[in-house]
Amino acid sequence: MDTLDKTEWDVVLVGTDLKQSLLALALSRSGRKILHIDENRHYGGAEAAFSLQEAEEFAKKVDEDTSAAAFTNVSISTPDTDEPTSSATLLSPSRAYTLALCPQLIYARSALLDALISSKVYRQLEFVAVGSWWVYSVGSRGAGDEETSSSIAQSGKLLKVPNGREDVFQDEDLDFKAKRALMKFLRFIGNFEEQTEQWQPYRTLPFPTFLKEQFKVPPSLHAPLLALTLSPANGAQTTTEYALPRIARYLKSIGALGAGFGSIISKWGGMSDIAQIGCRASAVGGGVYVLEKGIAGEYNAEGVEQSDAEAPSLRLRLKGGESVTTRWVIGSKPSTQTTPSSFCRSISIVASPLQPLFPPIGEEAPPPACAVIVFPSGSLLLDGEPENELELPPVNIMAHTSDTGECPRGQCILYASTSLSGQRGQELVKNAVDTLLHSIGINPIPTILWSMQYEQRADVALQPTSFYNGDRVLGFSPLNPDLAFDDSILDEVKEIWLRIMGGEGGSFLVFEDREANINDDE
Amino acid sequence: MADSAPAQPKPSSSVKLVLLGEAAVGKSSLVMRFVNNDFQENKEPTIGAAFLTQKCNLPTRTIKFEIWDTAGQERFASLAPMYYRNAQAALVVYDITKPSSLTKAQHWVAELQRQASPGIVIALVGNKSDLAAVNGGASGGDSSDDVDAAPAAEGETNEEEDGADARRVPTKTAKAYADEENLLFFETSAKTGTNVAEVFTAIANAIPETSLKGPRGVGGQTNLGRQEERVNLVGGRTEGPKEGCAC
Repeated sequence: MDTLDKTEWDVVLVGTDLKQSLLALALSRSGRKILHIDENRHYGGAEAAFSLQEAEEFAKKVDEDTSAAAFTNVSISTPDTDEPTSSATLLSPSRAYTLALCPQLIYARSALLDALISSKVYRQLEFVAVGSWWVYSVGSRGAGDEETSSSIAQSGKLLKVPNGREDVFQDEDLDFKAKRALMKFLRFIGNFEEQTEQWQPYRTLPFPTFLKEQFKVPPSLHAPLLALTLSPANGAQTTTEYALPRIARYLKSIGALGAGFGSIISKWGGMSDIAQIGCRASAVGGGVYVLEKGIAGEYNAEGVEQSDAEAPSLRLRLKGGESVTTRWVIGSKPSTQTTPSSFCRSISIVASPLQPLFPPIGEEAPPPACAVIVFPSGSLLLDGEPENELELPPVNIMAHTSDTGECPRGQCILYASTSLSGQRGQELVKNAVDTLLHSIGINPIPTILWSMQYEQRADVALQPTSFYNGDRVLGFSPLNPDLAFDDSILDEVKEIWLRIMGGEGGSFLVFEDREANINDDE
Repeated sequence: MADSAPAQPKPSSSVKLVLLGEAAVGKSSLVMRFVNNDFQENKEPTIGAAFLTQKCNLPTRTIKFEIWDTAGQERFASLAPMYYRNAQAALVVYDITKPSSLTKAQHWVAELQRQASPGIVIALVGNKSDLAAVNGGASGGDSSDDVDAAPAAEGETNEEEDGADARRVPTKTAKAYADEENLLFFETSAKTGTNVAEVFTAIANAIPETSLKGPRGVGGQTNLGRQEERVNLVGGRTEGPKEGCAC
């Protein structure tokens, strides 16, 4: 079959983003006839991972096609190196890299891992551990020393976030009072759900206010606790009800997959591999995959004649002129926001393994392949702007080692993001990356071999809604550029799966092994 | 699923092997023959088989093949990058009764040379040798009852035999191409089993020692003696919620 024209399907999935791909996985044993298309040449949609060359093609495409919804303002820079350097500091060939557009860490207790295990696809995935979390601290920058305006020259340092109570005990930078306050908070967060009376009044108030008034946690500890929320907003805009479950999620995950760490990342480009595995599972179940194939026209409900109410069919015109019929179409819902907010992101290939960021997790634990570095709101300045701690959001950087398979040995990748958009966002992100490289304690300062800046549209609502005509054309909400996998994505996938299956199909994402001869005991 | 080294005998390594080739050339059948010593006439296009494993014992070591089938994703040229990634070996299959399938195989070889790891071992395999007359380079020629045999009437033909010979790709042609591209070359019959085990043994022997990885290790560099960096999702995961952290 080399043409799709006039073919009939039960489900047409549009886009190979993580959500559609997880749905494809969920439907892979359903017996439904599935056509899964993506107008890109690559799998993964907004969660794709690229070689250098693919990244350049991506930049060009976004540049040419202003309608490409999820991404804008992509630019790639390769700083020219003046001095000839050793081979370790040269950029490797294009395919030595797998750069993730949207890297996410997955908490050890995430429902996603349960789903990957119960659907048996975990066998084809590899995960590595997230090690230390760091917070950049400018120390006690008072009103006096603000003239160090050259943004990089700040004499800040990276502080390791205590990894649970033992770490807190041993932390020499904390005085007794601070330790006691922190321990009290950590005890509370262990079952905060049941102590509503303590935090309900603060639900929509800033999280630092809650910390201060309820636990007397000193301000110096607000930044590390906010860091654990991975909140894209500054402290004043991060509410207590947002922060508490996220900190709890972090703490409860520690140790769940091994001592000393609480989250993992999927190798080779973050969520990209999980998306590809979902598509592959669907293909194994008989799904047909076509890349570089988009939808040309509107969805036309053909089968509105109720003669066959069981199987009303929609006609779908594809780019290239083919037309197919299907009972369901699942795509991406256009953003409903009138003024979409953007995230500025960057990917930087660094000519150093940045070893100091990756201290061993512990004797029993795997080596860390990822570190999280948070530049709290106010720790960075923009050139020529007065210090305004309340305005600028934090910048989060995820550093990936070569153990992620994303770069050659001797190098590492920095994925930076902030919720500030536009030129200022780009500058802030660049500032954070430069500051990180300057404060890591490596001399000479590690160089950046290649970097890409881009903006990604953010979204707030995560509710699936019907669009266009009727209830057989469903759409996933656009990607939420969160830095950790959001379990509500699975709920969204499940909801659509339930509608398609209409109650059949057993348990969501629970399958037997297909192959009889997989023996793990060897 | 303890992945620790077996009780001492030979070193064991796993090798990721990918299958490529035009539809209906017998990719999955070759694997079924190798893995289960089984052959199904008129097999449906591949659905289901995605990932099979089989061990290959060599004098000095054991190779555990992790065999990835395309699952039909090649049909619209939509194979995912993860399919090729870290593959240490590839089986590119064509049908000796169908010249167009060799053209397609050559296309896949080029694709692998572009996309896959630089050191990948590629074997070019002409399948359905049972459909050729005996002197075509393979044995066991009871081909007459195979309905699948209808040859594509195009391209070069090997006319040294009478009508019973469905071969349309001369051994010489394919062998010359394989030599030129530095590929292993075999003609096989998944139906009779001819040469099937030999292909896998030859691949196992051709995998350079340096690219071998431990069981379920990570490709690329040799990482013998390195601590396992993978996180084990099952087994390691403790059940039930924990209170805060470990103390």
